[in-house]
Amino acid sequence: MSPHWTGLIVGLFFGLSLVLSGLADPDKIIGTLRLKDLHALRTIAVFVLTGMAGTWILTLFGAAHFSIKPAFMVSVLIGGGIMGIGFGLTGYCPGTGLACAATGRLDALVTILGMLAGALVFIFLYPGLAAPLQKVWALGKVTLPEATGIPYAAWVLGLGGAGSFLLWATRKKGN
Amino acid sequence: MSGLKVRRAPLPWLAAGLLLGAVQVAAVAVHKPLGVSTQFVVAGTQVLEKAAPTYVDRHPLVSKKKYREPGYGWWLDIGLVLGALGAALAIRRFKVSKAPAWWEFNQGRGRGKRFLAAFGGGFLILLGARMAHGCTSGQFVSGWAQLSLSAVPFTLSLFAGAMITAFLVYPRTPAIEGRNES
Repeated sequence: MSPHWTGLIVGLFFGLSLVLSGLADPDKIIGTLRLKDLHALRTIAVFVLTGMAGTWILTLFGAAHFSIKPAFMVSVLIGGGIMGIGFGLTGYCPGTGLACAATGRLDALVTILGMLAGALVFIFLYPGLAAPLQKVWALGKVTLPEATGIPYAAWVLGLGGAGSFLLWATRKKGN
Repeated sequence: MSGLKVRRAPLPWLAAGLLLGAVQVAAVAVHKPLGVSTQFVVAGTQVLEKAAPTYVDRHPLVSKKKYREPGYGWWLDIGLVLGALGAALAIRRFKVSKAPAWWEFNQGRGRGKRFLAAFGGGFLILLGARMAHGCTSGQFVSGWAQLSLSAVPFTLSLFAGAMITAFLVYPRTPAIEGRNES
């Protein structure tokens, strides 16, 4: 366990990066979801690919700390869709919502209040509803290399190639 | 019809993505991949701890130490807020506002409607994120960073839900001023 202050440092840089990147701006998120302003899409693609490649490189030195989520497929699919509705409606997600509230967006502050209400309702629904749902089609804490038998390095290279193609294909539509 | 004026992102996409990616790699090196939404449940647990401690004791999820005792992730979220505030002040982006430009263009200037949508949207965001065991940080970005199987269904349903909703709520797509062009 790392001491808590490392969390504070990582958080400081994460919040700073969300603002500097433009992801902490609902207009950029909505613009990308409407496929009219692809700055956020391209930024997120580089974010994901850099994280993926960097994590893979860390594993080569035995320095990566993983936290694989359990793949309960039905609950993930339903939860992702429900979260997507809120994400598309507001232009915020939990991280950018916190960041946007800190930059003076009052509607982001209201979104955070909604998130706290959602968290409480999740706690109340967990024993009877969420926990049973998380047992349906539950495949465990599995990675794609484990699930498919395709080596880790091949996944990183393949997804890196696919992401690079996405960046190339979207090169003219607002950066 | 006038165009839609949005703010230019401070950094171009490549620099922005590399900076965020560097934070993710640092997080993986230090402790674990980025994640934000769990702490909202931690906050809820702190409230219930005061209001109904025996309920928390008997609860299958929030009776766990991870939820009862704020730790690394809690401090990460506090750092996130402080870092965002500091960055916004440093580059003069701190500005009190009530709705995004896209909202006002499509749904009008009434603030009550936006605040209602913001509350309802936030509710769905957190409920959905915890059902999926992670949000755009923990399940999407960090899911792909670690090549979790769960990132695949999450990515599909998250963006399907978000794009359909955005299509319905923001149907009018005018010319945008303030895009980052390279």
